[in-house]
Amino acid sequence: MTIGLEHYLAVGAMLFCIGLYGVLTKRNAVAVLMGIELMLNSVNINLVAFNRFVAPADFVGQLFAVFVIVVAAAEVAVGLALVISIYRLRDSIHVDDLNLLKW
Amino acid sequence: MNFSPIAIALLAPIVGAMLLIFIPKDERRLIRWIAAFSMGIALLLSLAAYFMYDFVKGGFQYTISIPWVKELGITLALGADGLSLPMLLLTNLIGFSAIFASWNIDKRTKEFFILLLLLIAGVMGTFVSLDLFVFFLFYEVVVIPIYIMVIIWGSSKRVTKEYAGMKLTIYLLIGSAFLLVGLVALYLNAYPAGQRTFLMSALAQASFSESFQIYCFALLAFGFGSLLSMFPFHSWSPDGYAGAPTAVSMIHAGVLKKIGGYGLLRIGVLTLPLGAKFWAPVIALLAVGNVAYAGFIALAQKDLKYVVGYSSVSHMGYVLIGLAAMNVIGVNGAVANMFAHGVMSALFFAMIGWVYERTHTRWIPDLGGLGHQMPRVATGMLLAGMAGLGLPGLVSFVPEFTIFIGSFAAYPVLAVLAIAGVVITALYTLRVLANVLFGPRRAEFDDLQDIKGPEMVPLVVLGAVLILAGMFPWYLMDMVNAGVQPIVDTVLAKVSQMTALGGGVK
Amino acid sequence: MNFNLLSTEIATALFGSVLLILSLVTGKDARRGLGHATLAGLLVLLLITFTQYGINSGGFSGTWILDDYAVFMKQVFIIAAILVVFAGKSYVEDFTGNCNEFYVLMVFALLGMMGMASAGDLITLYVSLETMTISFYILVAYNLTSGKSAEAGLKYLILGALSSAVILYGMSLVYGAAGTTLFAKMPPVSVASPVLLLGAVMLVAGFGFKIAAVPFHMWSPDIYEGAPTPVTAFLAVASKAAGFAAMLRVFLGGTPVAPDNWLGIIAVLAAITMIIGNLVAIPQTGIKRMLAYSSIAQAGYILVGLMAADPAGVNGVLFYSMIYAVANVGAFAVVIAVERATGSDEIAVFGGLWQRQPLLASVMTVCLLSLAGIPPMAGFVGKFLLFSAIMDQGIYWPAFIGFVMSMISVYYYLRVALVIWRDEPKDPAPIAVESGMRLAVMAALAVTVVLGVYPAVLSDLSLAAAKSFFGM
Repeated sequence: MTIGLEHYLAVGAMLFCIGLYGVLTKRNAVAVLMGIELMLNSVNINLVAFNRFVAPADFVGQLFAVFVIVVAAAEVAVGLALVISIYRLRDSIHVDDLNLLKW
Repeated sequence: MNFSPIAIALLAPIVGAMLLIFIPKDERRLIRWIAAFSMGIALLLSLAAYFMYDFVKGGFQYTISIPWVKELGITLALGADGLSLPMLLLTNLIGFSAIFASWNIDKRTKEFFILLLLLIAGVMGTFVSLDLFVFFLFYEVVVIPIYIMVIIWGSSKRVTKEYAGMKLTIYLLIGSAFLLVGLVALYLNAYPAGQRTFLMSALAQASFSESFQIYCFALLAFGFGSLLSMFPFHSWSPDGYAGAPTAVSMIHAGVLKKIGGYGLLRIGVLTLPLGAKFWAPVIALLAVGNVAYAGFIALAQKDLKYVVGYSSVSHMGYVLIGLAAMNVIGVNGAVANMFAHGVMSALFFAMIGWVYERTHTRWIPDLGGLGHQMPRVATGMLLAGMAGLGLPGLVSFVPEFTIFIGSFAAYPVLAVLAIAGVVITALYTLRVLANVLFGPRRAEFDDLQDIKGPEMVPLVVLGAVLILAGMFPWYLMDMVNAGVQPIVDTVLAKVSQMTALGGGVK
Repeated sequence: MNFNLLSTEIATALFGSVLLILSLVTGKDARRGLGHATLAGLLVLLLITFTQYGINSGGFSGTWILDDYAVFMKQVFIIAAILVVFAGKSYVEDFTGNCNEFYVLMVFALLGMMGMASAGDLITLYVSLETMTISFYILVAYNLTSGKSAEAGLKYLILGALSSAVILYGMSLVYGAAGTTLFAKMPPVSVASPVLLLGAVMLVAGFGFKIAAVPFHMWSPDIYEGAPTPVTAFLAVASKAAGFAAMLRVFLGGTPVAPDNWLGIIAVLAAITMIIGNLVAIPQTGIKRMLAYSSIAQAGYILVGLMAADPAGVNGVLFYSMIYAVANVGAFAVVIAVERATGSDEIAVFGGLWQRQPLLASVMTVCLLSLAGIPPMAGFVGKFLLFSAIMDQGIYWPAFIGFVMSMISVYYYLRVALVIWRDEPKDPAPIAVESGMRLAVMAALAVTVVLGVYPAVLSDLSLAAAKSFFGM
C-alpha cells in the first residue's frame, strides 16, 4: 500500500477534530490553547501534503506552513500572557471561573 | 431660476426652526412669535400660490429642479399642481393654527416649537416634491419629531404616552418599509440601469407588466393605506391621537394622514393603473369597513379624543371609496374630502385641546354644559361637528356628495352602505356635542375662562375656511378638478389601451 | 518591484515602530504627547492614501493588489482609528500603569487591516488577519486592573484562535483543490468538488465569526462589554469592515467555487443575522451590549450587499462601511464620555443627557437614527444602495427582511433617545467634553448628516472603487 494524499488528509482531519474536541471540553485555559495548537498543526499537515501531491512545482504550501507556525507562536505567546494576567487577578485559570460576563 | 413661492414656503419653517436654536430657552414669548411669524409667511405664500395658479396652463407650476445625485437619478424637484396645492394650503392652515393651539405650552417651549416647525416642513415637503426619493425623505423626516413630541408633551390617559408614541411610530415605520420596497421596485423596473430616475413624471410614463403592477401596487397600498388608517391597519390612529399633544393630533389627523391618500393617487394609481384597477374593489370593500366599523366604535367611546380619532378613521373610508371608484367625480370628491376633513378634524382637536387644558379631563360623562362658560370653544366644536356630519353650507357637504355620486357609479351596493354610515356619524357627533356643550350649567366649571387673544386663532382661521369653502365650493373643486382630471384621464387611457392590446385585464 | 504599491503599509509600519520606540524612551509621563503624536501620524497616513487612488495594479507576483477598492477600505480603517483616538484619548490616559503601547497596538492592528484589504493571495490574507487579531487580543485585555477586561481578552483569544484555525483549514482545502493560493489564478469550476465546498463553508464560518454574523456571533456581546470602550468601538467598526474587505476578496475576487454554491449560505446567513441581531438587541439594558447586537444586525445588512455580488452590491458595501464606521464610532464616543462621567454603561445613566450635555445628546440621537436607517441620515442612503443592488437582480426577500427589520430596530434605538430626551437627569451636573471628544463627535455628526442629504460626495468615490474591484 502506498501512502497517498488521502492518508495525509485523514491524519490532518483527525488532528483537527482532536484539537477541536480539546478546545470545547477542556476546562483549563492552557489546555485549551494546546487544543488550538493541534488544530493549527493539522492545517500544516494539509498544506504540506497538498504542496507535495497537488502543486509540487512551487513551494507555496510549505511557505504557508512556515507562516502558520510563526503566527501560531505569536498567538500562543499572547495567550499565555493573558492566562498569567487572569491568574494574577483571580487565582484561577479555569474557563468555568470566567463568569463576570454573561456568555 | 424663477421665483417659486412654494420653495420659500417650504423654507420658512426650516429657517424659523434654525433661528429658534439660537434663542435662549427662557424667552418664551419671542420663541412663540418667531414660530408664528415663520408659519405666517408660509401660509401667505401658499395662499398666493393657490390663487395665482394658472388654470389655462395647468400641470405643475412653480417648479424647481436641481440635479442631486446623478448616479442614482435623484433630483431635487419641487412643484405643485391642482392636487398638491389644496394639500399645501391645508398644511399651512393647520400648521399656522397648531402654533397658536400650542400657545400655552410651558414645558420645554423651545424644543417643542423647533420640532413642530420641522414636522410641518416635513409634511409640506411631501406634497410639493416631484421626486420619489425626496418625497420619501420628507415623509420619513416627520416620524421622529412626532415620536419625540408624543413622549415628552403627550398625555397618558387610557394608554401611556410611551405606548402611544411607540405604537404610532412602529406602525408608520413598518408601513413605510413596505412602501420603500415598492418604491425601489418601481425605480428599478421602470428603466434599465443608467437611465434610472426617481422623477414621478418619468416613472408615470414607464410601462410595467401587469403582474408587476398588481404586486407592486399591493405594497404601495399597504404602505399608504396604513398611513391613511385603512381598515384593518388603523388601530394606531385613535391611540396615537389620544396620547399626542394637541398640535400633533391636529397635524397628524389633519394633514399627515392625507399623505397616504395623496401618495396612493399620485404614485400608486398614476404609475400602476392596472394594479389599481385590480385592487380597487378590495380597497372599496375595506373602505366600507372603515366607515362602518370605526363609526360603531366611535359610538361607544367616552374619551373625546377617541371619538374624534375613530371618526377620522371613519371619514378616511369615504376618501378610500372615492379613490377606488377610479372615475373623475369620485376621485375629485376624495381629494376634496381630504381637504375638508383636514380642516374639520384639526378644528375639533384644537377645541378639545382647550377643553382639556381648562377642565383637565376629556371624559365625556364628566363634562357638560360647557356652552355656558365657554361659548367660543362651543362654537368651534359645533362648527367642526356639523361639518363632520356633512351639513350643507359647510366644507364637507360638497365633497361627500361628490364621492357618493362617483362611487355609486362604480360600486352601487358599497356606496349605499357607505352612505348609511352618515347616520352613524350623525349619531355619535350629536351625542358628543349634546353631552359636552349643552345641558344644565355646571357650577364646577364656572371659573373657567373662555379662549381669548392668540388662542382664538385656530378657531378663526379654521372656522373661516370651514364656512367659506362651504359657501364657495368651486374655489376648492375647480382646483382639485384641475389636478385630478389629467391623472384620471391618463389612467383610464392606459387601462383601455392595455386591455385593447390583448394583454388585457385578466 | 514596485514599492509604491506598499507605501501606505510601509509608512504605517514605520510609524508603529517609531511610536513603540517613543513609548519606551518617554515613559509614563508622556501619555498625552503620545496620543497627539498618534493623531498626527494617522492624519499623515490618511493623506498618503489619497495619493494612491487610480493606481489600480497588482504586484509581488500577484500577492498584493492595490485597487481603488483597497484604498477606499483603508480610508475607512484610518478614519475609524482617527475618530477612536480623538474620542478615547482621555479614556486611555485614565488607565493605571503603562498605557503607552495602546496606540502602538492600534497602529499595528491598522496595518493588519490594510493588508486584508489589499491581499491578493491566501497567505497575505492570513498573515494580515492575524496581525490584526493578535493586536486586538491584547487591546481587549488592556485594562489590567479590570477583571472584565482580562476575561474578555482571554475569551476573545480562545474564540478568535478557534475561528482562525477554521479559516485556515478552509484555506488549506481551497489551496489543495485549486492548486494555488493566488485569487487571480484560481480556475473557475462550475461543478464544485466536495473538498472545495467544505473549504468554502469553513471560510464562510470563519469570516462569519470575524464579522459577528449569526450564528457565529456569540462572542461579540461579551467582548464588547468587557473591552475598554475605545477598543470596543475600534473592534466593532474597523475589524468588522476589515472582515468584509477580506471576505469580498476571497469570495468575489477568488474562490473557484461557482457562486451558486456559496451564495445560498450567504443569503441564509444574512437573513438570520438581520433578524436575530435586531430581535435580541431589544431587551438589552446595557448600552454596550445593545450596540453589540445592533452591530451584529448591521453585519447582516452588509452581507446582503455581498450577496448581490456585482459592482452595485460592492458599492453598497463600501458606502455602508464608511457610514457605519462614522455613525458607530460617534455613538461609542458618546458612550465613552458618559461612561467617564458616570462610571456606568447602563442605558439608564443616559437619562436627561439633553440637559447635561446637549451636544452629546444630539450626536447620540443622530448616530443611532443613522444606524437605524432613517432619512435624512446617511444610513438610509447606505441601506438603499445595499438593498436596491439585490432587488435589481429580481431577488426581493432580503430587501424585505432588511427594511422591515431596520424599522423594528428603530424600537430599541429610540428607547435610548427616549431616555436621553424625556427623563430628568439624576445628577444634573453638566458633563465636560474636552476638545478631542468634541472634534470626534462633531465630525461624526457632520458626516452623518451631510452624507445623508448629499450622498454624491461619497457615492461617486465608492462606485469608482467598486468598479475597480471588478477591473472595470
